[in-house]
Amino acid sequence: MDLLLQILVNGILQGGLYAIMALGLALVWGVLNIVNLAHGAFIMLGAYISWYSFSWLGLDPFIGLPLTAVLMFGVGYAIQRGILNLVARAPMFNTLLITFGLEVVLTYLAQLVFSADFRTINPSYSGRNIDVLGVTIPVVRLAASGLAILLTLVMWRFLLHTRLGRAIRATAQNLPAARLHGVEPRHLYAVTFGLGLALAGAAGGLYGTVSQINPYIGATLTAKSFAISIIGGLDTPLGVIAGGLVLGLIEALTTLYVGPTFADVASFGVLVLVLIVRPSGLLGRTA
Amino acid sequence: MSPILEARGLTRRFAGLVAVHDVSFSLSPGEILGFIGPNGAGKTTLISLLSGTLAPTEGEVWFEGRRIDRLAAFRRARLGIGRTFQIMQPFPGLSVLDNVAVGALFGRGRGQSKLALARESARECLEFVGLGKHVDHRAEDLGGPDRKRLELAKALAMQPRVLLCDEVMAGLNLVEIDEVIDIIRKVRDTGISVIVIEHVIKAIRTLSDRIMVLHHGEKIADGAPDSVLTDSRVVEAYLGKKRS
Amino acid sequence: MRPLRIPLILIVLIALALLPLYGSDTIVQFGISTLLLAVLAQGWNIIGGYAGYPSFGNSAFYGLGAYGVGIAMVQWQLPFAVGLALGVILAVVFAICLGIPVLRLKGHYFAIATLALAQVMAAIVSNVELAGQNIGLVLPPLNDDALFYELSLVLLVAATLTVWWLTRSRFGFGLIAIRENEEGAVVMGVDTTRYKVLAFALAGVFSALAGGIHAYWITFLDPESAFDITLNVKMIIMAVFGGPGTILGPIVGSFILSAISEFLSSEVTSIAGLFFGVVIVVAVVLMPRGLADVARRFHRTGWRYFIENIRMHRL
Repeated sequence: MDLLLQILVNGILQGGLYAIMALGLALVWGVLNIVNLAHGAFIMLGAYISWYSFSWLGLDPFIGLPLTAVLMFGVGYAIQRGILNLVARAPMFNTLLITFGLEVVLTYLAQLVFSADFRTINPSYSGRNIDVLGVTIPVVRLAASGLAILLTLVMWRFLLHTRLGRAIRATAQNLPAARLHGVEPRHLYAVTFGLGLALAGAAGGLYGTVSQINPYIGATLTAKSFAISIIGGLDTPLGVIAGGLVLGLIEALTTLYVGPTFADVASFGVLVLVLIVRPSGLLGRTA
Repeated sequence: MSPILEARGLTRRFAGLVAVHDVSFSLSPGEILGFIGPNGAGKTTLISLLSGTLAPTEGEVWFEGRRIDRLAAFRRARLGIGRTFQIMQPFPGLSVLDNVAVGALFGRGRGQSKLALARESARECLEFVGLGKHVDHRAEDLGGPDRKRLELAKALAMQPRVLLCDEVMAGLNLVEIDEVIDIIRKVRDTGISVIVIEHVIKAIRTLSDRIMVLHHGEKIADGAPDSVLTDSRVVEAYLGKKRS
Repeated sequence: MRPLRIPLILIVLIALALLPLYGSDTIVQFGISTLLLAVLAQGWNIIGGYAGYPSFGNSAFYGLGAYGVGIAMVQWQLPFAVGLALGVILAVVFAICLGIPVLRLKGHYFAIATLALAQVMAAIVSNVELAGQNIGLVLPPLNDDALFYELSLVLLVAATLTVWWLTRSRFGFGLIAIRENEEGAVVMGVDTTRYKVLAFALAGVFSALAGGIHAYWITFLDPESAFDITLNVKMIIMAVFGGPGTILGPIVGSFILSAISEFLSSEVTSIAGLFFGVVIVVAVVLMPRGLADVARRFHRTGWRYFIENIRMHRL
């Protein structure tokens, strides 16, 4: 029983992290209709930025998160304005391919610049745990997951209740009308994509505190982010919380009851099932 | 004569909205039946129920004495039900000729199996609707009125027994409307029974043997053109209640 | 096809077929890899280029083909041809069982679903004992590069002839109709579900055969290499770069990109991967319909062709 409780808690904590990982992807996808196959690579980039901030500047990964986010925002703005913009009105497939190309470029650049070593971000408190009801919770994991959920809720509030958030959603839903209201779509699209990457970067920074990072984690993280976004549904930013928790729990339970090598099979199996049975996701409005 | 196409109590609900409610009618062989009704009356939904694009929530569709409302749309096409779309849907990457050839390849029965013969049939259909000159043009290059003729040619290439036309005259000028009326008459003369949805009342009056009126998804009139068009309920539906 | 083309193609074909006689060992090996990649690109062309369903998971078929050969030859001591047949059967079963639900999805949802399926295959197979689990299988060696080369060439010709047949058959027209306007195709009598699954299975068959030949050639397979996800990228890029929905486009695309990649990796090793990424980005922006379209339009519009593409598609 204790073991099950521990596994469940692990799954929930992992779910929180998954939520923030997928949030950037879901935002850009749901709002801009950009399916970003390079999303995981950007998470990886954010993780490295945090790592270097920690190693060179001594910046605690949690405190330094805003720095990572701001830098990644800049990268996102530039990429959208400079590259993705060029295929914004082309068939969706072109965006898929271009972001795929970006993923390849980022991975190889990372390999060149950062080398293929495995790294982690280890602040002084990284070994500490707290014990609750017989369940061991690493402090870092708790902080990461908690922060992740917090950021997701902030994003939700932002999109639904602030002027900029609503402008973003309006532009995405009705471009000509938005233009008539004086919105500069290219700028807004770039801001939105920048936000998406800022979130990815933040997720990377948090990811780096609990897992090892190397240049190749991009592909798997992208795949997982897709699974989470689809399972949870793209209609609301809260969808990623649902998706993240579901995925975290499924992986944890599969590892416990079936075996660790089946965890991936289970998560992607659920993804395919959701796509077939309810493509709008758990929290999505059925079309 | 037994009807070639029959609807019995057709109803179609979308979450919270009843688009078509308990509509029954029959189409006789060689007849031209006009559907009219204000916007949102459910005309296109009814056509989709007949062609198989939508499944009915309740009711039945009978074709040549067989019940077909459970059949998939492509099977109904192969049985001989052709339709045109209100929002025109050519195959943009194909030439005008090949657009129509698809209809010949997959139409009634199992269609043509030879591409060359299918293209021959396609040529004939294009001549029939007056697009003979545009045979090798790209479908996406055609203008509005020509696209409507292309829709007709595509449906005709399938060698249908029943043709469902959804607003083929929308956006045409008077001369073009007369041309389309001629084409539809020619179609009927080849033995095809036709249902025509239209907003152009004058055209419908000259063309149809019978007119059916839909309003809020229900049939409110069904009969000879002149009597239907002067029916007070029909006038009310279009113009609103008379203020006394 | 313009009459001048056919003699030209025959000459190239004969030159290729005779390559093992005058080419060095390295060239022949490069040839095998390139030919197999071209087969994958052509297979993708059927489902992605002609039917309009961009599969990001044909590597699953490739791996099934590899394991078909591996299991048949290593575990059951059956000949290579039987192994290939087994791979094909596995691929077709996979295409039908998983194709039917997945082909109901549109556009990028379909892409993601196939990507997920491909990801899963390696994980599943690494748990199957018959397939040697994570350790993999070692096949009996056959040191005859020339044979593998000719086999690969024959497979590519078969795949290309199939695509050529598509352009003049009822089936092919049905696929194109599905790609251009699926709902329109349905009301004209096309059995879209059956056709899509058939196209998927056809792509799967060629991918599986390529996988089987590759496995026997390198005499070793494990889940990671057999279900190599990067193959998906490569085959799509090659098909799209050359021209999706054309007969020779994918071949031209694979030959050119493979050659440049090979040249680069002999000069600067890690640049090769980077090169692919940059090519993808640039090609998608400047020539989204591939070289075939460039070849067709360039003499009419010149350099403006590329600018037009950008202007048409940017926000």
